[in-house]
Amino acid sequence: MLANVFTKSVVDRWRGMTVAAVGLGAMLWLGMLAYSELDLTVYEDLPDVMRSLINIGEDLDAGGLAYGAIYASYGTLTLASLALSIGSRSIAGEEEDRTIAVLLANPVGRGSVLLQKLGSMLVLVGAGAVVLWLAGLAVPVMLGVDVGDKHVGALVVHMYTAAVFFGALAAAIGGWTGRRALASGTTALIMVGSFLADGIFPVVGWDGALRFVPWHWFQGGDPVSNGVQWGGLGLLVGAAAALAVAAVVAVDRRDLGTGRSSGGVRDRLEALPGVGALLERLAGTTRARRIWSKTLADHQALVVIVASTLVFFGVVMGPMFLAIDDALTQFMDQVPEAILAMVGYADMSTPEGWYQTENFSVTVPIALMIATITMGARALAGEEADRTMGLLLGNPVSRRRIVVEKSLAMALVALGLGLATFLGTYLGSLAAGLGMSPARILATSLLAGLLAFVMGLLALAIGAATGRVATAAVGAAGVALLAYVVDAFFPLAESLEGLAAWSPFHYYLSADPLNAGMPWGHAALLAVLAVLLLIGAVVLFERRDLRLAD
Amino acid sequence: MTPDLAIDTDGLTKHYGHVEALVDLDLDVRVGEVFGFLGPNGAGKTTTIRTLLDEIRPTAGTATVLGMDSHRRSLEIRSRIGYLPGDLAMYPRLTGRDTLAYFANLRGGVDWSYVDELADRLDADLSKKVGDLSSGNRQKVGIIQAFMHRPDLLIMDEPSSGLDPLVQREFQDLMRDVTASGRTVFLSSHTLSEVQRVADRVGIIRRGRLVAVEAVSDLRSKATRRVEFELGSPVDRAVFVGVPGVRDVEVRNHHVTLAYEGTIDALLTTVAERYEVIDIATREADLEEIFLTYYVDQDE
Repeated sequence: MLANVFTKSVVDRWRGMTVAAVGLGAMLWLGMLAYSELDLTVYEDLPDVMRSLINIGEDLDAGGLAYGAIYASYGTLTLASLALSIGSRSIAGEEEDRTIAVLLANPVGRGSVLLQKLGSMLVLVGAGAVVLWLAGLAVPVMLGVDVGDKHVGALVVHMYTAAVFFGALAAAIGGWTGRRALASGTTALIMVGSFLADGIFPVVGWDGALRFVPWHWFQGGDPVSNGVQWGGLGLLVGAAAALAVAAVVAVDRRDLGTGRSSGGVRDRLEALPGVGALLERLAGTTRARRIWSKTLADHQALVVIVASTLVFFGVVMGPMFLAIDDALTQFMDQVPEAILAMVGYADMSTPEGWYQTENFSVTVPIALMIATITMGARALAGEEADRTMGLLLGNPVSRRRIVVEKSLAMALVALGLGLATFLGTYLGSLAAGLGMSPARILATSLLAGLLAFVMGLLALAIGAATGRVATAAVGAAGVALLAYVVDAFFPLAESLEGLAAWSPFHYYLSADPLNAGMPWGHAALLAVLAVLLLIGAVVLFERRDLRLAD
Repeated sequence: MTPDLAIDTDGLTKHYGHVEALVDLDLDVRVGEVFGFLGPNGAGKTTTIRTLLDEIRPTAGTATVLGMDSHRRSLEIRSRIGYLPGDLAMYPRLTGRDTLAYFANLRGGVDWSYVDELADRLDADLSKKVGDLSSGNRQKVGIIQAFMHRPDLLIMDEPSSGLDPLVQREFQDLMRDVTASGRTVFLSSHTLSEVQRVADRVGIIRRGRLVAVEAVSDLRSKATRRVEFELGSPVDRAVFVGVPGVRDVEVRNHHVTLAYEGTIDALLTTVAERYEVIDIATREADLEEIFLTYYVDQDE
């Protein structure tokens, strides 16, 4: 099984890839089921810019819509996330874990290690793509949906190539810097940014800038309708190869890291006179007084990045609303509310509808949940994996208190990020003179925080039960994605509409809080869910043997 | 109520699936002693300690620590013990001082002048981030963390790993200070020489079973010693074989090496009657040898 670096890397990862691929296949099934029951002719009246915004291709049938939404968007983001995780860990991860020394004490070259890891990425992502391809062919047959002439194979090839590109990018950054978090963070930012840009640029009339957007190389030309687009594919393959070469060159030239904490931006800043004490206070090393305050301090960097992202997106969406294509605004004026509701999108000719579609429906919950699910997954399972839980529990603190204090830290983060969301959106509204109601923005932002808190607690509870960080993170993220799909797609079909109420996402935007204010009943329901998860986490954690890290 | 036993386990058993990590362990650690818990890797030392700390729960049997049930009254127990886990890991981005401050806050009642004294005695640098320390220096922070609140019972799993000999000696003095004030130390180790120097009693565990518990002084008197004579004339093996307590006689020309138990008197008399003694070298077997004997005997 562990014949070489390549096979070990494959063995380490195949489970995650299998879960992701099967999950995406299941989601395609759900999405296609919903679309197949819907009268899709309403989509024909949508202008091109709006289709671009919501990632809808040229073919307006159940097949085209489901492949576009589930595969091209979520599927590619998922495949690419797995690829970038492998890419960023390829060398930098071994440096972080301090395993690089033992590995390279064997007669294997650095370049060979890197190439074998990249090879494992090609194979793993390829296997995932094959599963997606088979599911893409099987689902319409199982549902008896006529998808017409669709190029599922071409779409999957494009998805695969895009994922490999982002993986190679992460490997190159990790190869140059030796810093895994920097590599995965930067690549994720470029990935999500280019995904959003591909949707938004055409709407605001920046079509020319699309050629610099990697997501457009992959999505441009609508491969699911028109087959393989050789131009975009060639760009992705060429760029990925160049990045892989850059990674190998870089790794061969630099000093390897020891995984120690020094050498970061912060340490360099701390060396400057006067800056050290200030950073110390900001970073909270002196705040390690209680479990909850230490937990906050541990995640400060993540929270600051997510908060800045939320403020940034909130602010720029305001002026961007003013720049929307007039055609869209005029069109929206003419479309009856009922049809918009049926399509599942708010009236984008109003500031509230624009903010809801472009900011609150996807970006805000994703950003918030990255923070809370990370915190939740690491809360208990992370201390077990780091082997600090035994030391912590050597003190007279009960397991219940640890769960409660870590949850408190997560609640404070969710609240803080909710306030950051409010701040950004309110500033955006002020800057563009949109006149949105601050109280309603606040209500919506806090609901987003509450929803993210619930998902974070789910991760914490899974970690409490299993002691495994990866299980907790993947489990909670999977549930979140499924809950999102259920809430987003089930209301489209009459027979499934009632089931949407089972998704926690339903209690976030379904009552239209940006226009109607805080739905207290929905907020209370999410709060009750949070309390139940917290109780569950305490019970599960108290009953269990602590793990020895493996 | 002051119990006589700091640790008392009764039929303590832990299974992981079909693996028997601990089998029917009856262990008594008296208040005021240093108890060495010896065994090879994987014998069940850490499993025992993790059960005492309530990190894991026994499949059968009970454990009391300072007279309290290890599970039901774990919180009270933990307020009165100091714990140093094996394979110590701490928060890499905190300095030593911040790490200690964190635990001191969780616990309360830590005298910082004592922390400084401990740091001084162990020559520990508390200003550096734990992640930047070598494993020995990190271990010092862990030791201070276990001692700093003057606990009634110290439970330490392989405590001297990574420490240099000078610091090890200081650490042993620290343990003697603890028992001098009537408190108790329980330490696991596979470094026998270390236990030999500080422990009053040792328990030997092997494949999850307690093989023996002995006072270190008793072990010594039981110990086989070896002696080598250089004599004035060629040696006749038969002379030695009949002497009470003597075995493993090896003869080579003017030299004889043998093992004996008990006092050396009879042996010396026999030798002096027959030969001119040119030189004599004797050596006490250390615990290492005794320890190995236990295993060799039981492995048959």
